[in-house]
Amino acid sequence: MTATTQTQGRAPSPMLTFLKQPLVVALILIVALLLLGETLSPGFASAQQILRLLIVAALLGIVAAGQNLVILGGREGIDLSVGGVISLSAIIAGNVMNGADSAIVPAVLACMAAGAFIGLINGMGVTLLRIPPLVMTLGMLGVLQGLLVVVRNGIPSGFAAPGLSRFVTQPFLLGLPGIIWLWVAIGLLMAFMLTRTVYGHRIYAIGSNEQAAYMAGVPVRAMRISLFMLSGVFAAITGICLLGYSGSSFANVGEQYMLASIIAVVFGGTPLSGGKGGYTGTMAGALLLVILQGILTTVHIDESGRQMVFGATLLLLMLFYGRGRAMRG
Amino acid sequence: MTTATISTQKPGGGLKRLVERYPFLPALLIALVLLALNGLYQPRSISFIGITGLVKTYLALMMLAIAQTYVVYAGDIDLSVGAIVSLVNVVIVVLMEKMGGSGFSVVAALGVGLLTGLACGIVNGIVVAALRLQAIVATFATSIFFTGLALYVMPVAGTPAPAAFWRTYGGRFFEIPFVFYAAILLAIVLYVLARTRLATQLLAVGDDAQAAFQSGLPVTRIRIQGYALCGLFAALAAFCITGDTASGDPLVGGKMTLFSVAAVVLGGSALSGGFGTVVGSIIGALIIGLINSLVFFVGTPSEWQNLVQGLAILIALMAGVLVGRRARA
Amino acid sequence: MSKLIMRGVSKAYGATLALRRGDLTVEAGEVHVLIGSNGSGKSTLCKVLAGSVRPDGGEILIDGKPVTITGPHAAREHGIGIFYQELSLAGHRTVAENICLPDMPGGIFVDRKALEIRAARYIALFETVAGEGFSAEAVVENLRADQRQLVEIMKALATEAPITIFDEPTSALDRAQVDRFFDILRGLKADGRSIIFISHRMDEIFAIGDRVTVIRDGETVGTENIADTNPAAVIRLMVGGQDELAAGASAPPAAATDRKAAVLKAENFSGKGFANVSFEVAKGEILGFGGLHGQGQSAVLRAIFGANLAAGGTITLGGSAFTPSNPRTAIRRGLAYVSGDRSRDGIIQGRPIIENATPIHYLRQKLQLARPAALAARVKPALEALHTKFGGLSHPINSLSGGNQQKIVIARWLIDRPDVLLLDDPTKGIDLSAKADLFSLIRKLAEEGMGIVLYSSEDAELLNNADRILVFNGGSVRRELTGADRTRYNLYQAAYEAA
Repeated sequence: MTATTQTQGRAPSPMLTFLKQPLVVALILIVALLLLGETLSPGFASAQQILRLLIVAALLGIVAAGQNLVILGGREGIDLSVGGVISLSAIIAGNVMNGADSAIVPAVLACMAAGAFIGLINGMGVTLLRIPPLVMTLGMLGVLQGLLVVVRNGIPSGFAAPGLSRFVTQPFLLGLPGIIWLWVAIGLLMAFMLTRTVYGHRIYAIGSNEQAAYMAGVPVRAMRISLFMLSGVFAAITGICLLGYSGSSFANVGEQYMLASIIAVVFGGTPLSGGKGGYTGTMAGALLLVILQGILTTVHIDESGRQMVFGATLLLLMLFYGRGRAMRG
Repeated sequence: MTTATISTQKPGGGLKRLVERYPFLPALLIALVLLALNGLYQPRSISFIGITGLVKTYLALMMLAIAQTYVVYAGDIDLSVGAIVSLVNVVIVVLMEKMGGSGFSVVAALGVGLLTGLACGIVNGIVVAALRLQAIVATFATSIFFTGLALYVMPVAGTPAPAAFWRTYGGRFFEIPFVFYAAILLAIVLYVLARTRLATQLLAVGDDAQAAFQSGLPVTRIRIQGYALCGLFAALAAFCITGDTASGDPLVGGKMTLFSVAAVVLGGSALSGGFGTVVGSIIGALIIGLINSLVFFVGTPSEWQNLVQGLAILIALMAGVLVGRRARA
Repeated sequence: MSKLIMRGVSKAYGATLALRRGDLTVEAGEVHVLIGSNGSGKSTLCKVLAGSVRPDGGEILIDGKPVTITGPHAAREHGIGIFYQELSLAGHRTVAENICLPDMPGGIFVDRKALEIRAARYIALFETVAGEGFSAEAVVENLRADQRQLVEIMKALATEAPITIFDEPTSALDRAQVDRFFDILRGLKADGRSIIFISHRMDEIFAIGDRVTVIRDGETVGTENIADTNPAAVIRLMVGGQDELAAGASAPPAAATDRKAAVLKAENFSGKGFANVSFEVAKGEILGFGGLHGQGQSAVLRAIFGANLAAGGTITLGGSAFTPSNPRTAIRRGLAYVSGDRSRDGIIQGRPIIENATPIHYLRQKLQLARPAALAARVKPALEALHTKFGGLSHPINSLSGGNQQKIVIARWLIDRPDVLLLDDPTKGIDLSAKADLFSLIRKLAEEGMGIVLYSSEDAELLNNADRILVFNGGSVRRELTGADRTRYNLYQAAYEAA
């Protein structure tokens, strides 16, 4: 608030500032973890393994894009329903395409529509009824989990079209499968949107100071609803790809993505308070998380030990990122 | 002579003042309506036995909702409560078994269980308040760690609890079920806790942490104490679960975390902190129980039950938030 | 021996030096005024003393003994109490609980009785002026702004600290409340307590102060006895080498423009906090809203802009009817609104200057893409028109001083010119030279044909800049001052007469 006679002061060294950027931290950690993985289990950092990790990271990264947008929009924005949307989308996609390449397009459209619709409900609850996002999307998660049971019992679960499976698992261009290219495209699109479009600037505006944004004519409610819809759509895309990855959908495939997507965002340097950060970091965050899990599954320890190491490592990594401000300035 | 400033004061309606004083009134209303509906569809459900069964089944969730309330008071959240429940559950079951299952072993194990819960709470508090990590992601990370510990203590579910324990929990004394004594004792403990400095201080921190700090309150210590209290009540929740299921299961609490958050919100507390009551959270837990039983009594086809429950909880959450705000505005 | 000596205290936030060399000596039994333009470092100096900011250097002596203040709690133990400008209240707690919050009576359990007795003592001090709805049990959130400020004052008084800091304690208070508060301060002084008092109001400073210390650009530049100095001398010390125009003696207002077609017209406009307000603003006119703080001036402006709900009456914009519904539609119809509370209504914290300057441009031009070069070409002239000092358009807005931040907020309206500019106490908390820049720009905009409504809580600003002044009292217009009637005497008379 006060503060501000502009002077040179003690500027921290540029090197240190660079190293403290979340994206840089994430990239350094990624390399370190790959080296660690290779030491622990030779072959971990082989091209084939890295490709597999990239595919898994893309699955997480795509849903994290939506999560990222909702969190950037501020006002305690968070979407706990993404896990439910992913599971639902995987089932819808499976049932609609049921192994037929010709049905991929309708399946994708149906899933994205479903994701957008769920996001719309979330967004309307959050803006029009002013339900806190955590509560609204938590309630929605409960509804979706119930819906999954109904859908599963009613209709025989379908399986992925070969074209979709190829898109997710087989090389498409430069030896990389389509999903990686899709992820890269989403990354570029997100970066462009957040820095070079009015929509992007408005996301930061409502996330940083909603009242000021409103006073400057930003359509705050419509913005927020659209962010939740985008989150639903991105989750739906992950759901479709997940079906392609595993061949057929199974119970609650999306559940693990709920908190993982949030952690990827946080590791990418977007604090949960919103208004700050971006998607490039989130991509690195998703990769980091996936590699960490990858290492833990290759080393031979008990499930209990694996969980303990995973939890402790997450905590340790969080120390590098967005710690809250000290009370005493 | 005083210059009359325009009164911006809202007309202090009786209802408004009542809800301000007892924020759980809307929840109580919802609970009573649900209870009446339960009675309508299944008259036996509001008999003495029916109520006993309800309390016995949902006492654990009530405890866990209470646990969550103390951290929510301060504007924090604990997504590891379910994992603490699991951990304490397996710790006491294993200890009781190792020590022979006598009355003394039960008491000793419960003591250790309480200490375990307390320790987990303190770890959470240190991580969130002292290390200043974001509560949602940090307590998720600790929950993974605690689950790992639980798996270490008991890798697979199934070890039975000694009869001395669950017979007491499910038994009767002077014709009155044990759970009622537990409930009365709980009421006294809560009444005492509500009068402590800590309760007021937690609420003050939740209102505005910076203001509380500037007022000279030891904010970090207060938040850690809130998490410690949360850990203690999570341990109590574990005792109830163990009494109910009579066995150990390293994953038993996992599903309860989000329900504990829902119960707190249903009870009229603000997730942003500074406003709420423990009584409300207890009623919130009861509402979840009543919804579940009502859906059953109405004769919903089994595959639809989860969906209807999910929808009903979402609607109750929305109604609770809306009614509470309408009454206060 | 002096009660308190602070020597060479410094504090930097990152690369920004907030306090370079803060010196302050306070005696027992005096009211010591601390004055300086916004961002000069006086609040930082106080926060260092109160323990909520960690200093980088310097020393603090209390009763001649060097002390290290490690936090707010430690400060209290050293006998330092503070009133925070931004208040430090818990909204959902009662008045009594807030007053006793720093030091709750009781051990593990709260001693309710003791708490009530202690709170009652301080509430009683302001009993006659606290107004309707103020009681020990009232929840702070439901109180008016002035009442909340009184709670913060009571909280500071309840510390009973030998050294008490009041950082702008009177900004929301009415005259009677201020008078009562000053009586209490005089009582404390007589008991030998030391008071550090920060205010921007020169009349208050000379009414209550014994000595005054001036801080400029993070450095203490001098201490004077109030009895031996005068406002002009203090202001000269504050501004140092800055523009002389800033010293408050602005140019006389231009002659009232002849009434051309009204660009903005309100008839029997009513809403929360105001009723039956009617006025017209002509093209090229600066219409002033005056009166005591909180008499409906701000509420009227916000309601026209659509930020607050209006209940009745009609608004006409450039000849056609306008129904305020939200800021978005108001902006599209050519209205502009600048709030004095820039951190709440204006700046988008943490974002680049350019993004803070462009939102209105986006809306008016229906832009979808944000091309940095094209935008910079638009933003730069607007910023230069206000003599805004900034490093680069991509620097975060938080890197600027309060005055420059407000200039950015104003500049966002200059890219696509509005027809009517509503200024709601736009100079609150900004320094004198920024004020001078702002008012010369406003006059220029009026000359170019804009209709301007200016509400200012500083009478001198109104008298110097407005062509006509509507004096508000109790939510409605009491009097219109034009031409030679625009005198301080008339303004006060209309403002203070019983509503």
